Amino acid sequence: MFPLLGAIINGFFGAKADKRLITAVGVGTVAISFVLAVVAFCGLYVARAQGEENVRFVFHVYQWFSLQLPQGTVLPVNIRFSMDALSGLMALVVTGIGGLIHLYSVGYMHEDPSYSRFFAYLNLFTASMLILILASNLPLMFVGWEGVGLCSYLLIGFWFENPAYAAAGRKAFVVNRIGDFGVLLGMLILAGATGSFEFAQINAQASVLNAQFMFAGLSMSLATAACLFLFLGCAGKSAQLPLYVWLPDAMAGPTPVSALIHAATMVTAGVYLCCRLSPVFAMSEVAMATIAIVGTLTALLAASIALVQNELKKILAYSTVSQLGFMFAAVGMGAFAAGFFHVFTHAFFKACLFLGAGSVMHAVHAHGDADVRKLGGLKSVLPITWLTFLVSCLAIAGVPMFSGFFSKDEILLGATSNALHAHSAEMRAIAWFVFGGLTLSATMTAFYMFRLYFLTFHGSYRGHTAGDDHGYAEHPHEAPASMAFPLWVLGFGALAAGYLGLPHIVPFVGTHLPNWWGHWLAPVVYSHGSHDAMDAINLAAAAGIGAMLVGISIAAVMYRSGQPRPVEHPRALYRLLLDKWRVDELYQTIIVSPIKATALAVGRADFTFVDGLLTRLPAWKVRTFGSWLVRMQNGVVQWYGVVFLFGVVAIVSWITVPHASIEVQRFGARYVLKAEPGYGYQYRWDFNGDGEFDTTWQTSPTRIVGREESTAESAEFTVEVKNAFGIRAQARGSAETKVASAAGVHP
Amino acid sequence: MSVDANLVLGTVLFCIGIVGFVSRRNLLVQLMSIEIMLNAVNVIFVAFNRAHLGSFDGQVFAFFVIAIAAAEAAVGLALLIAFYRLYHHVESDEAKLLEK
Repeated sequence: MFPLLGAIINGFFGAKADKRLITAVGVGTVAISFVLAVVAFCGLYVARAQGEENVRFVFHVYQWFSLQLPQGTVLPVNIRFSMDALSGLMALVVTGIGGLIHLYSVGYMHEDPSYSRFFAYLNLFTASMLILILASNLPLMFVGWEGVGLCSYLLIGFWFENPAYAAAGRKAFVVNRIGDFGVLLGMLILAGATGSFEFAQINAQASVLNAQFMFAGLSMSLATAACLFLFLGCAGKSAQLPLYVWLPDAMAGPTPVSALIHAATMVTAGVYLCCRLSPVFAMSEVAMATIAIVGTLTALLAASIALVQNELKKILAYSTVSQLGFMFAAVGMGAFAAGFFHVFTHAFFKACLFLGAGSVMHAVHAHGDADVRKLGGLKSVLPITWLTFLVSCLAIAGVPMFSGFFSKDEILLGATSNALHAHSAEMRAIAWFVFGGLTLSATMTAFYMFRLYFLTFHGSYRGHTAGDDHGYAEHPHEAPASMAFPLWVLGFGALAAGYLGLPHIVPFVGTHLPNWWGHWLAPVVYSHGSHDAMDAINLAAAAGIGAMLVGISIAAVMYRSGQPRPVEHPRALYRLLLDKWRVDELYQTIIVSPIKATALAVGRADFTFVDGLLTRLPAWKVRTFGSWLVRMQNGVVQWYGVVFLFGVVAIVSWITVPHASIEVQRFGARYVLKAEPGYGYQYRWDFNGDGEFDTTWQTSPTRIVGREESTAESAEFTVEVKNAFGIRAQARGSAETKVASAAGVHP
Repeated sequence: MSVDANLVLGTVLFCIGIVGFVSRRNLLVQLMSIEIMLNAVNVIFVAFNRAHLGSFDGQVFAFFVIAIAAAEAAVGLALLIAFYRLYHHVESDEAKLLEK
């Protein structure tokens, strides 16, 4: 786990180390991991080529702990890594694109004082992501899941001196945590039902999960419950409705962070989870429908917000949310491989877009985010950035022959084949909704991406005419080589990666093409049956191409000149979109404010009651009592003498008055009478209750009396005590009472 | 029990000493009252010794008391002189620095 090593080294020693050493460790570890991933992937490929269907490399480290279930079964939780077709691909993406982004960060973060901390966090993130995808069981994957959530928090709030950025980091972590709760519950349901945490076992026993159970009057299958909980986790991690609110705020982090975490890797962890457990998800129609609907709605919502945003990275953030919605819609339609394909291509072009945005911001010396209304004309100044950015825009819009087209087409195909050929009417209706929604958001995607492109790169540079005093640099300059190289690679990937997943039937023509992607993933990922129906294929392709054409042409018509033209009618709709549908404000009123108010109220109650009762009340009591007592100290010596005298009188009286008490104990036929011993005391006993004392004065305080000497009924005894001064006292007691009181003092 | 006249003398002297200590402001008078109390105690010791002949514990202890009284008087006078140097009078009312 080389990146983990790099994180540790950089984290602990990096503060004082030379910059080149930090760079070497930070980037080198990821590069080594990439090489290893390639090697492992080749191994997998060779094994597949030789005919083995489902080949996996398994590396069992040790058994971490095990859970005892009440019925006596034991669930072991192992540290075990496995690499199969799905995780092999994902590992390549993570280490490869991650490595490129590490390289990019060398240039981007060059002047930052916390250079080493950045690389430590990046390495830690890469390590956590690798744990996530290479884990062979759910708990270990959850370790990685939490780890990337943590690193997301650390990296978003990297410049934490700015409280807004720190708040964004916190928001990301808290929202993510809500999802983690879902993952835990889903994980436990799965383990409880199938008896194992290992993915291989769970997938093999997926049919067990069809067992129904009753919950609050609704009958649902275990699979549905588990999948819905897991999807809650995915919604948190991968920014779906309603837990997407952290992603736009996460743009507060440095741009390489946005590229790595929020374009290529962490946000796709949710899709990875769905694909990993695809047999389980396929068991539950309700869950699949939910995922599809939520995905589509997210895609629509985010695309609509992105239409009117004015900040560069915000547009890209909403675009990410929207594309993630696409991926989940694909998953919901049963086209798991297509969703994952979109993960793959999206990683390339989105990372390229973010890095290009970073390059733009680096060029114009913008901090935080760049306002596109103040950019423009950068085509000639930043040629490399311009070209790669254009390629990625074409890819995301779905222009044919670029990678995004192929993956988007596969997703639409999944929707249309369900729409036209699904079994139940509800599935068909949902599929039509998904198809329509995805087409609409594809149109919007094409539109806003090209609006962004035109405003940034065409026209003339508007940076120096900024209204406030934060204008941008006068003469923007191109990026250094360390930043440019990743851009080239990613741009090429955005162009070419699509060819891995050519549709196996060309629309409108009907020839069959090799589809490497689906074939590769087939043993691992569930797929919904054949996609051979021509009508579905044609519809999907037509919709995809149509959406792209419409979107790009509208954008071109409006923004060709590169001048910002805000379209603010209708006014109310524009404001709604600009305010992000006021979802954040909604959450603020519904959730955050009540929690804060409750916390305040509870805090006040704690202060008043708990603190008051246990701390302040006793303290006040002690203080009052003390202040009353302190009047005894008035500094006047005579007063002290008087007190002294009182003490002397008390002691003397205690000494001169004898203390009489009697204790009677019974031992069978005898009584043992005991009185208090004292200096110079003499005792006289009366043990038959007649009022006359039966003994003479004796010096022993103990007297043993036989039964026959005392009266039978009352058994009452009296002792008289005389001290050296001749003062006497009496005490009376019987066998029932333990100690009797002194009575009668007379000289 | 008939009370020895010496005992009565000692007790009365002791009470005079106490009253003098408590009610007078002049430090010197307070010291003298303390001396009166100590001497009254001596008288009582010797009176008891006279009543219980056979050992002379009382007289020996009276010697102890005399020696201690001398030492205490020396210390007390030293304190009084220090006090006078500070306040230039010997009213014990004014020694209230330890008052809360």
